[in-house]
Amino acid sequence: MFSFIRWTFWISVWVLVASVFHYTLPQVDIVRVTDTYEKRIDPGENSLFWAQADVGFDGTLANRDVFFIQTRRVDGDVMVYRNEDTGWGWPPYFKFDTSNLQAEASDLRSTEAAARYVAIKHYGWRNEFLTIFPNAISVRAVDGPDASKGIPWLNILILTLFAAVTYGVWVRWRRFRMARIDPTMEAIEDDLVEASGAVTSWFGSLRRKS
Amino acid sequence: MAALARLMAVGFIVLSVIYVCLSLYSRAVRKGKLRAEWEEGAQDQPLDAFMEEGLAEYDKSLRRKLILSVYVIPLILVSVVVYLTNFA
Repeated sequence: MFSFIRWTFWISVWVLVASVFHYTLPQVDIVRVTDTYEKRIDPGENSLFWAQADVGFDGTLANRDVFFIQTRRVDGDVMVYRNEDTGWGWPPYFKFDTSNLQAEASDLRSTEAAARYVAIKHYGWRNEFLTIFPNAISVRAVDGPDASKGIPWLNILILTLFAAVTYGVWVRWRRFRMARIDPTMEAIEDDLVEASGAVTSWFGSLRRKS
Repeated sequence: MAALARLMAVGFIVLSVIYVCLSLYSRAVRKGKLRAEWEEGAQDQPLDAFMEEGLAEYDKSLRRKLILSVYVIPLILVSVVVYLTNFA
């Protein structure tokens, strides 16, 4: 029972950590921009997955206009990106050039007949049930649908650093536990065994008497 | 500007905690080294005087001032990311 709870706890923690990284770290898609538009949005339950008003604007109003980039991926699926400032907040992309990015994306629009492919760097998730969209960070024109996405050096660096720090903390915690906590727990367990032995023998003595 | 102010305030607090911890740790390491040095040396000075002299030297050293890079490196990192995201 206890090991079941422990496993559930640790699996939940690691799934959560993995989700945060998967949401936050940049990814690159090769797509064809079909259209760009802006739409008034009123974030509600999904407001966690939306950024805030562009830097410098009044951030207290409930609704605002957001830029969107409509695309079709190489495999034929559609993907819609939002295009918002992350500003000085989380995640730390420090993106302020939302309007410029929208201009670039509009410039790279193409039709299926005369397809022009772009690499779009983004973070975030598309989810239809929450109406959330990945946030585009940058676009650049590429040669074709088979163009390379490049090696994700930043992701490799961040994940390696995270793994190193986690391992360091874990090793130190284990050493501390073996040196300080385990001996104490064992002493308590020994005491318990002795005590329960005494109780059992007392009951045994009752049984013998009857 | 409120968001920038908040980032700077939180950043300053977090980095200050790291700075203080690192300073204390570095000073403790230096103390241990000085003690070892004294025990191996001629011991022509009392331990207290030797330690005091050594720590005064450490306080003036470049190594101690390098700990200030705890503040400088994140500042440079943020500037680089701002440039790469918006202007590169």
